[in-house]
Amino acid sequence: MLVIENLIKKYGDFMAVDNISLEIREGDIYGFVGPNGAGKTTTMRIAATLMEATSGTVLVDGIDVREDYLKVRGKIGYMPDFFGVYDNLKVDEYMDFYGSCYGLSRAEREKRTDELLELVNLRDKKDSYVDTLSRGMKQRLCLARSLIHNPELLILDEPASGMDPRARIEMKGILKTLKGMKKTILISSHILHELSELCTHIGIIERGKLVYSGEIQDIMRRITGRTILKIEVLSEREKALALFREQPLVEDIYGEENSFELSFSGSDEDMAELLRHLVLQGIPVKTFAKEEGSLEEVFMEVTREYELENGN
Amino acid sequence: MNLKMGIKRNPVITSEMKIKMRGWRTALAVAAYLAVLLFIGFLYYLTFIESSYSYRNTVNAFQEMGMQLYSMLAVLQFSLLILITPAQTAGGISGEREKQTLDLLLSTKISSFGIIFGKLISSMSYVLLLIITSIPLFSLIFLFGGVTPGDMIKLFLFYIITVFSVGSIGIFFSTVFKRTVTSTVITYIVIFFLGLISVILGIYMIQAQFRGTGHVTNPRIPFILYINPAVGLADILTAEQGGVSQFLGYNIGTQTGLDFWIINSIVMMTIAAGLLYAGVKKINPIHRKKKRKKQA
Repeated sequence: MLVIENLIKKYGDFMAVDNISLEIREGDIYGFVGPNGAGKTTTMRIAATLMEATSGTVLVDGIDVREDYLKVRGKIGYMPDFFGVYDNLKVDEYMDFYGSCYGLSRAEREKRTDELLELVNLRDKKDSYVDTLSRGMKQRLCLARSLIHNPELLILDEPASGMDPRARIEMKGILKTLKGMKKTILISSHILHELSELCTHIGIIERGKLVYSGEIQDIMRRITGRTILKIEVLSEREKALALFREQPLVEDIYGEENSFELSFSGSDEDMAELLRHLVLQGIPVKTFAKEEGSLEEVFMEVTREYELENGN
Repeated sequence: MNLKMGIKRNPVITSEMKIKMRGWRTALAVAAYLAVLLFIGFLYYLTFIESSYSYRNTVNAFQEMGMQLYSMLAVLQFSLLILITPAQTAGGISGEREKQTLDLLLSTKISSFGIIFGKLISSMSYVLLLIITSIPLFSLIFLFGGVTPGDMIKLFLFYIITVFSVGSIGIFFSTVFKRTVTSTVITYIVIFFLGLISVILGIYMIQAQFRGTGHVTNPRIPFILYINPAVGLADILTAEQGGVSQFLGYNIGTQTGLDFWIINSIVMMTIAAGLLYAGVKKINPIHRKKKRKKQA
């Protein structure tokens, strides 16, 4: 659906995007992660036909964005990180206006407006003026706007930025619905754990370079490589600690009162064996859980590796 | 479809009209505009009555008053339009930038031409509304005689062309500058200097033609004057007395033999088209990639 090949964007001597290549297939939810100024927005704006690349190719559904940008615009829905609304325009008029900009008929516009306002929970605000909506509502409305022409690819640049926790949760719910609708999405966000719940693939960008691009599960496995076990006992702390020290598959032990975090390099069967040992020793186990690696950890690890490799 | 969206079914025009015409602001502005025209026209009428007391009630006096009132209102309306139009158009694109809505608009299927054209027409429509609502006021002049409906049609057509041209300057600068304030100020400065400099240069060039022997076989109006709509208006209002030649005080004509105001209109429209084209190029983020010709 979206193919980016050797994309370069320079502002004078500053390299904003440095030879990025990636591919997003139909139905993928691709999370774009990176610090501010890393080149996420620039890449997304180029893909959304709002900026020209210095060199490289961007294809949307096989169409070069520079050759037929109007056709490409019909295939993508774009939501920028910062956007404004018109004064004196009602919610349904706002949707109708953008529907007209995509050349939809009146009937199509009305149908899509109703469906999308329902999706983003703004149906009861249909007759409200757009500038009176809260920030969270405006974000949701902008998302609905980007969907008015039923695009094949959604480019969402920080869709939840500046939202309060409640609005974030609502936005996350809507994005999950879109995932269920098999939409192809390129999304950037600073809230990494939200992306990890949503995305099938991830791209980590640092100073214009794509440090990692691939399936989210792959990178989790690659980076963590080991399992963190969280174990809590009701009593018999010393006995438990002695048992952990005897286990060859336990690499590190971090303990605090009756809680332990073990760095464990064994399989699921080995984990079950460890639990059996604890129980057989008569240690009252309250919690025995495997902690999933977080995207925050992955991000920090990948960017740290990159900085070490590049001598920073 | 894009041409249709550019001209026939332009959503920018529909939406802008809806936004502009909503509420009392536009109605009040139109009322205030007409009140200014009416008030100044009435003052002029009273002054004329006072000054021509001795021969009032004669047909000639009424005709003369009608023509003078017409000229005065025409110049007044022209000045107001020159003042109002840049304020309406110079924020067309920069306003979208300031509101952070330009990217949203550019990411849709509406072309850059559709956006520029839509902004110009919707801004112009407000000024056109002022022009149209002033027609009944101008029609009162028919009661005095001396002015024909043909004169009036010519004048109003020239107004529309002037508004289009001045509006294009405003739209162009709104694509160049990010802030509406800058764009508006620059538009006013450019219009003022173009108006002033073209007249000064024009008169200097005419004088240069007559300098020396004082006898010129084929004197012509210098081209620089064709960019100035004020000279075109003068040509329309002094048509009875010989047009712009009379106005400038020299017996010189246009290169083509056409009336000055017609060539003036064509020149202004051409410049406007050029500015709109430059504006379209300016806001278009993608400059279409040229397909390389296969080498034989």
